[in-house]
Amino acid sequence: MATEILARRKMRISRSGLTGLVIVIFFFLLAVAVWAGWAGQNWSAADGERWASPGSTWWFGTNQLGQDIFERAVYSVRTAFEIGIVVSLLSTALGAALGAVAGWRSNTLADGTVLWLAGVLDSIPFYLFVAAVAFALQGLPWAMHVAMIATFWTATARLARAEVMKIKSREFVLSARAIGLPSWLILMRHVLPNTLHILLIQASISFVAAIKTEVILSFLGLGVQDGVSWGLMLAESTQEVLAGHFNNFLAASIMLFLLLLGFNLLSDALQDSFDPKQAAL
Amino acid sequence: MNQPALRISKLTVKSTLEPGAPAIVSEIGFDLRKGEILALVGESGCGKTKTAEAIMGLLPASHWQVTAGAIELNGTDCSDLPPASLRKLRGNEISMIFQEPLTALDPVFSCGHQVSSVLRRHLGSARNEARDRTIKMLQQVGFADPERIFRSYPHQLSGGMRQRVMIAMAMSCRPAVLIADEPTTALDVTTQAQVLDQLTKLGREYGTAILLITHDLGVVAQYADRVMVMLDGVIVETAEVENLFKQPQHPCTRQLLSYTTGAVA
Ligand SMILES: Nc1ncnc2c1ncn2[C@@H]1O[C@H](COP(=O)(O)OP(=O)(O)OP(=O)(O)O)[C@@H](O)[C@H]1O
Ligand SMILES: [Mg+2]
Repeated sequence: MATEILARRKMRISRSGLTGLVIVIFFFLLAVAVWAGWAGQNWSAADGERWASPGSTWWFGTNQLGQDIFERAVYSVRTAFEIGIVVSLLSTALGAALGAVAGWRSNTLADGTVLWLAGVLDSIPFYLFVAAVAFALQGLPWAMHVAMIATFWTATARLARAEVMKIKSREFVLSARAIGLPSWLILMRHVLPNTLHILLIQASISFVAAIKTEVILSFLGLGVQDGVSWGLMLAESTQEVLAGHFNNFLAASIMLFLLLLGFNLLSDALQDSFDPKQAAL
Repeated sequence: MNQPALRISKLTVKSTLEPGAPAIVSEIGFDLRKGEILALVGESGCGKTKTAEAIMGLLPASHWQVTAGAIELNGTDCSDLPPASLRKLRGNEISMIFQEPLTALDPVFSCGHQVSSVLRRHLGSARNEARDRTIKMLQQVGFADPERIFRSYPHQLSGGMRQRVMIAMAMSCRPAVLIADEPTTALDVTTQAQVLDQLTKLGREYGTAILLITHDLGVVAQYADRVMVMLDGVIVETAEVENLFKQPQHPCTRQLLSYTTGAVA
């Protein structure tokens, strides 16, 4: 289905979009390698000397505890993808479901409830809310995910609601009714598939947002509980930087920067290719 | 025996958003005989589409108040059937073609998928059987290459082709009644003739009675058996087509005629 929609839109991807795609695929393969156990497995062993310089044994050097920074940075790719995928899939699905119901039954109680809920969540300062949830659910490894999903869905819901309201006045929806399809089936079969391009873009945006938020939360000590992430590495590096050792800091921030750059390029290209004004050219 | 395919009496449509405003359709009634083509003509905004949508039960109760003495389909009153039973009739016993062929098909599904899903829904056909019937159907509405049309997406087809896909979809269950709301207004004259030819041919073959909504009296003269003239939500004249052209009764009819023929009535 998604492929059909993409094909229909004659997706022409720009050069920068292609660069983004290559970067994202590279990181994704790295994450797969970690999942499969081919790379980054040695992230916790403290078997080197403290603050070793980069070289053939320690590619990126070692940290304060003598842990291999390269292994840690690579393992963090998996952490980033895990959080990005879980949060973007679930928050987009939740936003799509609530937004679609709100738009389909606009100006009813259901619609009002969804809008009210989104309004309340949006009015709480974001990091305060995430920190509060993460704090309240402390000890649970999923606290951070729950907090992000609970706030990220609102943007998708608003967009999905507006799009569904637009689509439901199109004639093919009336004609689906004239064929005798029940209301919920029309929503599932004819309305939601027509919002897929928006959902795709929203998923890519929340992926990036989730990774960024993870770094900040981990830095604050509210994020990743077990394992390692770029946010945790940056948190460790604060003391090291004061002592004049930048390897940990550089490794984590450059990797983070590259992945976010790749994703932003890709999601910009996606948005451009779905932009009706561009398509008309 | 001579029970009409569709009998409407005292059908009134009001907007609930403007309670004081006059009814958009007021107390109209007519019989659509089995197998006939009955035209409904009138100037833009006189309520033709609202009449059709009211008969089909497509007007949401939140915006529209529809009251009817009776809406009888083959002798059974369906004006107060529960929604589930109405859905079984729609697309099956009574179906509708819309004014705008460009947007009446869902852009994300192939045409074949959309036609065959009607068959699967109403006749419970299996996938392969529905596919075969759909291809036959596409052939019958005049496509030389039905297999290709089956796979095509709406944006790959011209307006006339899309309208023929719509006809295939609306006629696939051999309905007793088809409401065609200005099916060819958006098309050029040649395509218009082709589409109407296909439609009326199929109607005769299936014994489907057609309510043909149009504002083109040329179309009426060529295709319809009888004609109703609507003015501001009221049917002001009903006549056999020949009589209407020979002796128009209502001033509004004469005016419509003068537009078409260019003569001053
Ligand atoms: N959504 C709406 N809300 C309020 N009034 C409406 C709405 N839609 C249509 N109307 C009114 O109902 C009247 C009848 O509209 P309808 O669409 O049935 O006209 P029509 O005869 O089909 O015209 P056309 O030949 O242009 O299609 C119009 O005068 C219009 O003002
Ligand atoms: Mg109309």
